[in-house]
Amino acid sequence: MELNVKSVIPEYDQLNWVIIHGRGVLNTGHAGTFARTLATSGVLSGRESYYYMRYDDSPERDNIPMIFYTVIGNPKIDVTLHEEVEPVGEVFSAIVVMEPTILVSQTSQRALLFDGAKKDAVLVVNTSLSPKEVIRLVKKRCLAQDWCGKLVAIRAREYDTNIAFPLLAALTKAWNSVSLDDLLDALDSTGQGNKTGLVRRVYSEVEPVDVRINAKETAMAQTRKSIPSCKFKKGAWDLKTYRSYQKATAEALSYLERIKAMPSWQALSPGLIEFGPPSNEKNVGFTTSFARYLRPTIDKNKCTDCKMCSHYCPDGAIDFNRIEVDWNYCKGCGICARVCPTKAISMVSELLAAEGLTEKEIAAIEEALVEYGY
Amino acid sequence: MWTGTRAIAEAVKLADVDVIAAYPIRPYTGVMNSLAKMLADGEFAAEIIGADSEHSQFEIVKHASAVGARTFVGSSGVGLAYAAEPIIVTSLGQLPVVAMAGCRALDDPGNFGMEWNDVLAFRDHGWLMSWARDPQEALDMILVAYRVSEDSRVLLPSFVAVDGAAITHISAPVEPPSKDGVAKFLPPYKPPYPLDPAYGPVTKAQHIAPSLIGPELRKVVENSMAKASEVIREAWKAYAGFVGREYPPFIESKYVEDAEVVLVTMGAYSKDAMHVAEKLREQGIKVGVIRIRYFRPFPDKELAEALKKAKVVGVVDFSYSFGSAGSSSVLFNEVRSALYESGSRPLFMDFMFVGGREPSVEHFERAIMLLQEAAERGAVEKHVWWLTLRGEDL
Amino acid sequence: MSERPLIRSIRDVPSVDLYTSGHRTCAGCGAALGYRLLLKAAGPSTVVLGPTGCMYVANGHQFLSSPYSVPWYHTQLGAGGAAGVGTAAAFRVLMMKGKRRKEDVNVVVYGGDGGTGDIGLSGLSMAMGYDYKRFLYVLYDNESYANTGIQASSTTPWGASTTFTPVGKIKRIGNARMKKNVALIIAAHPGVRYVATATLHPLLDFINKAKKALEADGPAFIHLLVPCPKGWFTDPKYTVDLSKSALETGLWVSWEYENGEFSLSYRPEPRKHVKEYLRMQKRFEHLTDDKIEEIERMTIKEWSYWKEMDKQKKIILPWVAPPWPAS
Repeated sequence: MELNVKSVIPEYDQLNWVIIHGRGVLNTGHAGTFARTLATSGVLSGRESYYYMRYDDSPERDNIPMIFYTVIGNPKIDVTLHEEVEPVGEVFSAIVVMEPTILVSQTSQRALLFDGAKKDAVLVVNTSLSPKEVIRLVKKRCLAQDWCGKLVAIRAREYDTNIAFPLLAALTKAWNSVSLDDLLDALDSTGQGNKTGLVRRVYSEVEPVDVRINAKETAMAQTRKSIPSCKFKKGAWDLKTYRSYQKATAEALSYLERIKAMPSWQALSPGLIEFGPPSNEKNVGFTTSFARYLRPTIDKNKCTDCKMCSHYCPDGAIDFNRIEVDWNYCKGCGICARVCPTKAISMVSELLAAEGLTEKEIAAIEEALVEYGY
Repeated sequence: MWTGTRAIAEAVKLADVDVIAAYPIRPYTGVMNSLAKMLADGEFAAEIIGADSEHSQFEIVKHASAVGARTFVGSSGVGLAYAAEPIIVTSLGQLPVVAMAGCRALDDPGNFGMEWNDVLAFRDHGWLMSWARDPQEALDMILVAYRVSEDSRVLLPSFVAVDGAAITHISAPVEPPSKDGVAKFLPPYKPPYPLDPAYGPVTKAQHIAPSLIGPELRKVVENSMAKASEVIREAWKAYAGFVGREYPPFIESKYVEDAEVVLVTMGAYSKDAMHVAEKLREQGIKVGVIRIRYFRPFPDKELAEALKKAKVVGVVDFSYSFGSAGSSSVLFNEVRSALYESGSRPLFMDFMFVGGREPSVEHFERAIMLLQEAAERGAVEKHVWWLTLRGEDL
Repeated sequence: MSERPLIRSIRDVPSVDLYTSGHRTCAGCGAALGYRLLLKAAGPSTVVLGPTGCMYVANGHQFLSSPYSVPWYHTQLGAGGAAGVGTAAAFRVLMMKGKRRKEDVNVVVYGGDGGTGDIGLSGLSMAMGYDYKRFLYVLYDNESYANTGIQASSTTPWGASTTFTPVGKIKRIGNARMKKNVALIIAAHPGVRYVATATLHPLLDFINKAKKALEADGPAFIHLLVPCPKGWFTDPKYTVDLSKSALETGLWVSWEYENGEFSLSYRPEPRKHVKEYLRMQKRFEHLTDDKIEEIERMTIKEWSYWKEMDKQKKIILPWVAPPWPAS
């Protein structure tokens, strides 16, 4: 007997969900301030609101991207929020990027920046790049669907060392879910009233830009089309089977694809068994290029092939024989540059290296190791 | 003539165990004393490590088992509580460690008496659990435990529980099987993925993201536990084949075919229960007794079948569960829950013997009479009875 | 048993990584670098036990991802010693009984300061009391419970800010306990054949100590100082610089104790003022100059003991009055 009842599953897209991307430790304090203040705005405007760090990003690690969420209800939030919101469907109505190199790489969930975003999402980026440059990066690296929303590119550090406040003002200007008054009330009620003047100023100065991108114009949409869906055979749980699952999930271009490619329980062996790489190979299951906002360049004229950089890299990302950097794994920590006896290695902006774009924020980021935790 | 601890030591020797980890606590220590002496006399060969605590003790065997060693360990009371972390991790990590639990009352206060809560505390995590009725069965259960645990369809650890004082310390006649017979009965332990460079770079028990693989890993454990029932049945059949001593695999029933009232229990005191039942039968009381051998996997089907004629079931339970439904006890809750879906759904009474004070034959007689009264009345007035509690006459 | 010669040149350090690229550690993670160097020294005939901590969670945290090219098994936070013993015992008895071919297999435990110096100290002590050879426990000391978000452990230095010892309006010292010297505690175990301390610089020092440790005639222990950018509030690029500075200011002492004979591996002469090291790290930024001078005085006092030990080739327990009550 079929029950004639309409589905009452609440729609996530009716919530005002903000996803905030930053780099672990460098941005954690500010991201927390941002998320908390924004949630408070929601509460003060009469809506059920929450904020939290994505649990899987905890503990946050230096440079490794991490995510905060603020969720403002409509006016209530009738679902339990869990710490991992799969970026599928259309959930996020605003995306905030606290460190612009994230535009060049993947998010903490190893997904595209716009995975899970609504078509009219607002994007706020802390950067010295122009909106035009940001849009170019988005088209190339971050988007595989239509986007018809707004962009604010703001160099937050020009306004305050705590980038949360300029970014809050910028979001409020472009996003219609939180008004300036809500934000100012939130600042007052959380003991941050000394920032109201700054926020007003930023609000009046930022100019959101309308953006209209068709999926066809994006590089990622095309790439995704050309990769066939993952196919593999179920077999005994051995190194070969494991590697095929590893490759399928590592190459997955969206979070949804990755989950789909994961083995079912029947494929697993008892005893929590995985297989490490053979000794001449690396861990194909997890690459770490997304941790990089600086990258080393090696001047081979100065290099004496002493091998110090190769041995001192915590990630083993410099090939011992060729003294070449493996960009899949380099996190841009800068140890190699420090230990090189002939100063043959210098750290340059990843944005410059990857996209030819100058990011004046790099020096400021380096000094940004302020608070961590929230 | 061997105590339960000595009998178990003999089984460990017969099984050619490789690594043993020891730490003293009453009443199980005797098994380690016996094993240490056997090893010192060269009766067999194994590494025996005196650990710094029960936590380390259970960790030692867990890791030895991962490499491919057959292992043995044990503890009692708060010692088991101290080992809680590795106990849980061993079953979730699916390693076929075999452990003895010398059931002892938990602190506070210190109490050498017998209670089941020390090992029952771990009933949810994937250990197979069986209760022996005497030193002979303790020996037999240890040998079968190795066979079942190490079976590639199972790969779950086993607790063989023996009632402290009653079985651990009283010497009884025990007939050990032959060494050759055991060697045939127990194939060598070959873990499917040994932690050994000769095998390859296995990575075991890495930290995972639950969104990717959380419930799947738990399902594998559940599946292994589900398979265990069949393996247990096969193993006891094979065991009977070569020792000539047979046990029903999951429950031992006496007089249940026409019984209106039935006592259900585990362990040593089933002997008293069966003796009293036999005597009362002579006077026309239709009483039966069931001794549960395996608490995990719980024999719900076998119990439902054996209890289908019963009007009132009395659980003789050496555990407590403060604050549980009806302020009852662990075995009681499991048996009653198992019978809820059965067609018969008899009435239930809980006879709790806690605090380590040992029941005597009078208490079993009283319990059966209470069951009989309830059967005649057609209702249970008081569900939970502490018959050994001073003043419990009301 | 063959004697593997020590490595004389950095070019001769094995290039193969048995803890390889692909882990979710902080950029500039000192513990990860330590792991990498340790496994280069140990080689492929090795089983590694990884107690819970940064070097557990950060190296996994996913599924279908493993950076370990040798057999590796997790163990509980306080179980490093017991895990090592269980593993070593299994190999020994299986080989003795002919159930496995006889060959040298290293058992290496890589555990953090919280798991080793606190909750696992009892198990470590037990492990150091047995006679397993090719048995090495390396304590990677980032001076906090780092994985849970930087809480003080018993090896957190005096004056450091952590989330359990934060600097506030009333309490201004941060951590008030004195750093525990786990290596000296282990050196007091009669059966231990090799105890050493090291840090990430110079890397040949640690690698050769690890090799010596694995060749010793019994259990071995190395206490490895690993700077931690997140916990110490330093830029990731300074991780190796900090190792160097710790040695040069004398706040980290590099030594060996082999079959009862003590020797210093490095003498900072002239020793730099501790402020050069401490002022690089924001976890000490609240320390006033007089507190820094206090640390300098304690370091000078302590070094009088280390010099004496080096002279006599014996261990003398250093004793410096703790600056209590702390404010």
